[in-house]
Amino acid sequence: MDETQRDAPASAPDPVGRREFLSSALRLGGGVLVFLAGAPAIGEAGEGYDWTQHRWAYLIDTEKCIGCGSCVRACKAENDVPDGFFRTWVERYVVSPEASHVDSPKGGLEGFPPIQTPFAPTKSFFVPKMCNHCKETPCVQVCPVGASYRTQDGVVLVDGERCIGCGYCVQACPYGSRFLSPETHTAEKCTWCYHRITKGLRPACVEVCPTATRQFGDMRREDDPVRLAIARGRVSVLQPHLLTEPQCFYLALDKEVR
Amino acid sequence: MPEISGYAFPNDVHVHWSLMIVMYPYITGFVAGAFIVTALYHLFGKKEFEPVARLALATSFCFMAIATFPLNLHLGHPERAGYVMVTPHFSSAMAGFGLLYSAYFVILLLEVWFVYRREIIETARRSRGLKRAFYAALALGTYDTSPEALEIDHRAVKVLSAFGLPAACMLHGYVGFIFGGIKANPWWSTPLMPVIFLLSAAVSGIALLVLLHQVTARLWRRPVERETVQAMARWLWFFPILTVTLELLEIMLLAYENSDAWHIISQLLTTRLEFSFISVQMIVGSLVPFILLAIVVTMNRYLHDRVRNTLAVIASLLLLVQVFAMRWNVVIGGQLFSKSFRGLRSGYQPALFDREGVLVAIGLFILPFALLYVFDRVLPIEPAAAPPGPPPAEGVVEPARRTA
Amino acid sequence: MESARHVFRVLFLLVVGIAIFSIGRTFLVPKSYGAYGPYRFDNVAEQAAIRLPRHGGAAACGACHPERLKALSAGAHRTVACEVCHAPLALHVRDGAKVADMAVDRSFTMCARCHRRLEGRPAAFPQIVLAQHQGGVEGTACIECHDPHGPKL
Repeated sequence: MDETQRDAPASAPDPVGRREFLSSALRLGGGVLVFLAGAPAIGEAGEGYDWTQHRWAYLIDTEKCIGCGSCVRACKAENDVPDGFFRTWVERYVVSPEASHVDSPKGGLEGFPPIQTPFAPTKSFFVPKMCNHCKETPCVQVCPVGASYRTQDGVVLVDGERCIGCGYCVQACPYGSRFLSPETHTAEKCTWCYHRITKGLRPACVEVCPTATRQFGDMRREDDPVRLAIARGRVSVLQPHLLTEPQCFYLALDKEVR
Repeated sequence: MPEISGYAFPNDVHVHWSLMIVMYPYITGFVAGAFIVTALYHLFGKKEFEPVARLALATSFCFMAIATFPLNLHLGHPERAGYVMVTPHFSSAMAGFGLLYSAYFVILLLEVWFVYRREIIETARRSRGLKRAFYAALALGTYDTSPEALEIDHRAVKVLSAFGLPAACMLHGYVGFIFGGIKANPWWSTPLMPVIFLLSAAVSGIALLVLLHQVTARLWRRPVERETVQAMARWLWFFPILTVTLELLEIMLLAYENSDAWHIISQLLTTRLEFSFISVQMIVGSLVPFILLAIVVTMNRYLHDRVRNTLAVIASLLLLVQVFAMRWNVVIGGQLFSKSFRGLRSGYQPALFDREGVLVAIGLFILPFALLYVFDRVLPIEPAAAPPGPPPAEGVVEPARRTA
Repeated sequence: MESARHVFRVLFLLVVGIAIFSIGRTFLVPKSYGAYGPYRFDNVAEQAAIRLPRHGGAAACGACHPERLKALSAGAHRTVACEVCHAPLALHVRDGAKVADMAVDRSFTMCARCHRRLEGRPAAFPQIVLAQHQGGVEGTACIECHDPHGPKL
């Protein structure tokens, strides 16, 4: 295997302009920052991110997930998730008509080991999970200081400077998406990589998924494939009876999944 | 790391609401319960409660003073605790804390002030130097002890009791709402939760005062008032009957409806909470006091004073344990099963020396009694300790020697 | 009402207390609080800038390594992100300049994580039972025979 990575950044002219590409890909935030910080001037013309122009949604096709755990590893690397806690995780279901077995060793961080169940399974599958960024969030409802909120582009966030670490939101989330970080002593959870999607990138988990299980889309774009799948396909959400209106939609979700 | 049986969501394995969150409703329970006792005299005029009225007021005050401590010890950022007052998010029951706590504390302060005002002034008059200045400041620079002023004090106390009773009830009821409003947790999510919390608060308050009455009677070498003990025993019998009925009703309904939650909750009750719920809360904590107090209430006429007192004391001690067990079973129990409804974690054992540990909890429980002692030094609780007021005018019958 | 003077004094103190609290509170509420809802709006921009993105995506890798990307895109691993087997881009490149060698995981575990035969993987997904695979031995690196950028033999 030859290693070509040792090329020094050359000064030779290049049609793609690698430096420009990389620096713009990783530093688009500058304009965004200035733009957003000038609030409430959102919606004014200019480059940068306008949160009124997007309504993010997430689609998970559980028939494609192979349980490799790349998403969990990528999320941990992208967001400095503390050990033993998970912003996203993958569950394995091994099911027969009489019994079912669910596991998620370290959230799927290192993939899944082979498993022997005391019953003969008839079906099994993997289900990735994360914060569902619900429209009717039970977690934002119970935050006593307004540290947790939902942005106008549909992302539920936690203000780390405002959170007092009471843990009420952790108790209120029906999906187990939230945790109290032992490092910051505030509530944390999946942010759909807000620092990436505001720069036109995709969340890290979507970026690395090798089987297109995880897809990220914009409900405001007419031709968005995720939007079309949700609008036309048979989709489910987790714990629909709680009426939290999650924005993570699942294809082929089995009744065993809670 | 805790041991999990079954499957728990990966983030769901921690007990975030610790012993401190068990202590907080326990302490505010005393605040509310003690205030109910004092309101029974000051608001509803039940004479049998007169001997314990001031004691109950002082108890409510001293427990109120430290009520925020368990919360601050629990918060990830206690230095930001003030945000609940500055930017309260009122869709959250927890945000109500700032308002409810402040309002009730003001009412309590005012009631203590009006009850003790005459004695404060008299103490100021009798003292010299620093002590005089202190009591004069406490009196807010007023010196009026005329019968008209005292009558106004009397009415003020009644008004404050009338506001204070619902305030105290809300101060504790909102805690029940904090749990009751969480639809994600079926062990907590029931409309009965605020009612159950409040009723068991009354139980804890009355039980504590039964004990304190016995202790202070010995300290002050006064007789234990039979009517008082009897009246408190009667309330102490009724309230737990209501509480336990509601608690059992909730479980029966869960079992009857056989929802997906019942499967995991029945496991919770029969495995992780077997000791604390069935043995401690229900049998030792509810059934035994029920029998003891049934004897006191129904066989009142045939009982020797000593027997009545002993039965009441034992029942009260057991009920104090029962109320603690109830808080534990609700708070900790609700966190021992995962929201996946497929897994239970191993029991929660609070550390001994932790910031949220056992020693701190014991300290928090003892602290109000130390404050009670200080309170007594500044504002004597014992009724006869109050010096006599000005001699009554001709033909006017002097009322009881205190504005209680 | 002379005899009620003490009540007025208390009420006056109460009103002063409430006034102090209300006025003091306005100094403590963050400036952007309430702009779009009961939260500190400035935090939205803070979250958008909380850290530089660390994963770049295949196109970002291809900007410097177009041959590699071309080979990958032609093979069975075309949907596998470079950063799955290698490390996140930000560990290798910052501000358009290389800061460290790109890490790569060449171990057996790396491949087994995706390709070991497991209950739950879609049947159409290529999975290996080691015992039936060229007499494969657990632990022997798969890349001894397979090119990770074009793995089909």
